[in-house]
Amino acid sequence: MLQSSPLHIVIVGGGSAGWMCAAAAAQVLHPARYRITLIESEEIGTVGVGEATLPALRDFNELLKIDEAQFMRETQGTFKLGIEFRDWDLPGGHYLHPFGSFGQLWGGTEFQHHWMRARQHGLEPAPFEEYCCAVAACRRNAFEFPDLKNPHSTFYGYAYHFDAGLYADFLRRWASARGVRRIEGMVVDVALHAESGDITGLTLKSGQKLDGDFFVDCSGFRSLLLGDKLGSAWEDWTHWLPCDRAWAVPCERSDDFTPFTRSIAKPGGWIWRIPLQHRTGNGHVFSTRFIGEDEARAALMGQLDGRALAEPKLLRFRAGRRAQAWKRNCVGIGLAAGFLEPLESTSLFLIQKGIQDMLRLLPSPEVRRADQRLADEFNRLSDQLYERIRDFLILHYVANRRHGEPLWDHVRGHAMPDSLRHKLALFRARGHVPYFKDGFFSRDSWLAVLFGQGLMPEHYDRLADAVPLPLLDQRLRELHARVAAHAARMQSHAAVISRHCGEPAPIRQAAS
Amino acid sequence: MNDPAAIRELVIVGRDAPAWLAACVMQEALGASGLRVTVVELAPAVDTADVYATLPALESLHARLRIDETRLIADTRGTFTLGRRFVDATGTSAPFFHAFGSTGARIDGAEFLPHWIKARHLGLPVAFEDFCITATAARYGRLLLPDADIERHGFTDYGYHLPAIPYGEWLKRLALRRGVAVHHARDVGVTRTNAGIAGLELDGGRRVTGDFFIDASGESSLLLGRALGVARDSWRESFPVDRVLFAHGAPFATPPIHGEVRAGESGWLALHASQVCTHVLHAYSSDIPLDAALENAARLAGLELHDAQMRTRDPGRRVLAWQDNCVGLGDAACVFDPLHGLDLQAVQLGLVHLLPLFPVTADYAIERDEYNKNVRSAFERSRDFQVAHYALNRYRGDFWARARLAPVSAELLRKIGSFRARGETVHYEDESFTIADWQSLLIGHGVIPESWDPAVDRTPPERLTEEMRRILAFIRQKVETQRPHADYLRAVPGGSHHGR
Repeated sequence: MLQSSPLHIVIVGGGSAGWMCAAAAAQVLHPARYRITLIESEEIGTVGVGEATLPALRDFNELLKIDEAQFMRETQGTFKLGIEFRDWDLPGGHYLHPFGSFGQLWGGTEFQHHWMRARQHGLEPAPFEEYCCAVAACRRNAFEFPDLKNPHSTFYGYAYHFDAGLYADFLRRWASARGVRRIEGMVVDVALHAESGDITGLTLKSGQKLDGDFFVDCSGFRSLLLGDKLGSAWEDWTHWLPCDRAWAVPCERSDDFTPFTRSIAKPGGWIWRIPLQHRTGNGHVFSTRFIGEDEARAALMGQLDGRALAEPKLLRFRAGRRAQAWKRNCVGIGLAAGFLEPLESTSLFLIQKGIQDMLRLLPSPEVRRADQRLADEFNRLSDQLYERIRDFLILHYVANRRHGEPLWDHVRGHAMPDSLRHKLALFRARGHVPYFKDGFFSRDSWLAVLFGQGLMPEHYDRLADAVPLPLLDQRLRELHARVAAHAARMQSHAAVISRHCGEPAPIRQAAS
Repeated sequence: MNDPAAIRELVIVGRDAPAWLAACVMQEALGASGLRVTVVELAPAVDTADVYATLPALESLHARLRIDETRLIADTRGTFTLGRRFVDATGTSAPFFHAFGSTGARIDGAEFLPHWIKARHLGLPVAFEDFCITATAARYGRLLLPDADIERHGFTDYGYHLPAIPYGEWLKRLALRRGVAVHHARDVGVTRTNAGIAGLELDGGRRVTGDFFIDASGESSLLLGRALGVARDSWRESFPVDRVLFAHGAPFATPPIHGEVRAGESGWLALHASQVCTHVLHAYSSDIPLDAALENAARLAGLELHDAQMRTRDPGRRVLAWQDNCVGLGDAACVFDPLHGLDLQAVQLGLVHLLPLFPVTADYAIERDEYNKNVRSAFERSRDFQVAHYALNRYRGDFWARARLAPVSAELLRKIGSFRARGETVHYEDESFTIADWQSLLIGHGVIPESWDPAVDRTPPERLTEEMRRILAFIRQKVETQRPHADYLRAVPGGSHHGR
């Protein structure tokens, strides 16, 4: 039998990263084999203005067997079918990046090639986005749970908007009820083993000492353990992604109750809008190289479609990552390991993926020491994910036509990563979007943004020629009608929320 | 607008199944876009002893060609295969089965492998492959048709043993029926321009011109290697085999539904059954004289061997599979070690990557770069699967001792390391082999993971034992109800499909 004493995992930092980590660990690990402690300090506040997520978060909640309606009630959650980008290509333009597919494969060939062929042969197909049910639903502020067995038109998934502070509270209660020990305190010292360099324990401001076998750094940008103590170097990506600040402020909920996040490009950055049940989260992500803090604050406050409910808070960050997200016996989760601006709502996804990989690769109580072979694999997975998301984010910036605005001229003119340049060239030449086994971001996501940013391939894949033109015309018309009909019979997002997980009281009207 | 006139004439130079498979696929996929396909057929290089022991992926390429599988098997007198059994005739290690399917079933929502690792550490002595329904079906000589229960349990697949001569002829008839043109040539001369190949001169006379060329000429790589001068990246150091004997023996009364590879002290021998004969292949190193190799082959096969012939084998990859207006397919682009019968897989990889990148105008530099990048990584990951077999072997003899010292790529080292540590399979982009394939290979060679995914500790040991028994019982019960391999071989040509 296995009779080693439990391995002690110490999580430094609360917030979304810390409590998602603690909750998942409490759910997945056996309490006789792993003991979990989380240290957080009330002196360090969280932001809690609203968080937009990716559909993968549903897997995380499913892992914890969390009831969706309860979770949404407790976090003021709403549904999210995608992100609307306004003014990103040119002021006045807009497009949606949905969590869903565009069209269908016909004869094994991807839809964009059929669509481009139809255009080139004068069949005058509808705009590309109108062959996507999730987009059609967004355009009507409507929502319906996807029916995976019978999609009716095109496939889609959904995610949530919620209050990240409430989510952390929710998970704190959840994890505490399942044996996670919470310690209130500030870490003031980190002790290393003289020979191995592994972390052996922490000292808190109160003087309390805490030993551990394995440490998870969820301390945010300070990266107390991974960065400060173990010296995992910072790899800077601000030359590609220059935004370094955000103002964040909640305002009253308005009538425009969208089942999507909105991102509006601005001269010095972009403004997010996240609808929650009780209010709307807003923020202005900007680059201090191109706009001052005060000006950015004014731009945000001028954009609100409801009365501000608090003073805006200023957040400071840098795009980049730690060279090793796992070093010795310490893993960084969330901002302690890296940061990518929330343009595509990847923050919680990066946390979630890191947690899932970490839990699978943790040291065993028999061996106790972290295994370099497993740390290497964790870092490979992490690096790959960061780089793929990074390229996808940069795409939004480089493919713009906002000439004459310094930020936008800068990002358009700056050299992009080779991996992205190659992808763009393939798309421009023939609408080809390479496939990744790990599927992140998916081909449909790339298509949404590539077309959305105004790129149009010169040619299409010849495989599409296998469908006779009259048949193609008929298929396009049928699909277009099916998508429109499907979206037309969906209920409004507000109605679904109020029935599924809303307050018993009627929906509050917007403040004017 | 697309400019189909820029690339209208496709000329395939080659022989045997690779050339005709390419012709069928290109014609089927791109004929509608105005591509005309001509094959310049060279003298065959295969013999009665040659067989394609295919990976499951070939079925999907056949489906794209609307090939009736029952008819193909009946016409070519081929068989089905569920994988390969690896036997140690040097007597140092246990045999193992590399099946075309997954092993075990999820227990309490978690993968099977970590449960199995933990069970071993707890002292439950059950072989990994005993939990593989595909391997079990193979042992009992039955083809496995998945029902809903089996699909919930895991995945299972199959390949074929297709005698090379009739399969090539079959594909040729199909290609010709579908409008592919053919010329015959013993020798091909190449006219070059700055942009690549302008045309071919057949046997010093007739000229054939084309816009784009596929080289399926085999190892000689007539166009890509010889005419365009694309260099080779030799994998010689990674593989101990440089000689291969091909022969055939009497057919089995009931053909087994799997291949068998027997490791001898100075090489290995593969047996693949078809309805025609038993196809025998003996791979060894040139430091063994031919006479001795023939003796070793006969002894390892336990069969009387006919028409034995020796061929050299020199594994390696052309550094560019696509140069100018020419793509090399199969051996013309990459010669694999003979171990897993990857010749046709190399052709398929090339085609599958080429189709979505086939030129739409006269300017296709970006497509070429993308193709070369992807195909290189696909070839190298398949090579690593083969290298792992040699590098990890525990067989006796100088041949195998040398094999253990062969260089291993950084990607493979990482893969073996993380599997040994935790049973975690590093799975890169462009892998032809599945995680299940890697698990069979690594565990088969004795790489037993030192620890397991801690998620499975939630399952109590008693329940683990019970679940493992339940899986074994399920496998036994399902395999007993499957029909024997021979039933599928008796099927009437043109008769019913067997529903896959």
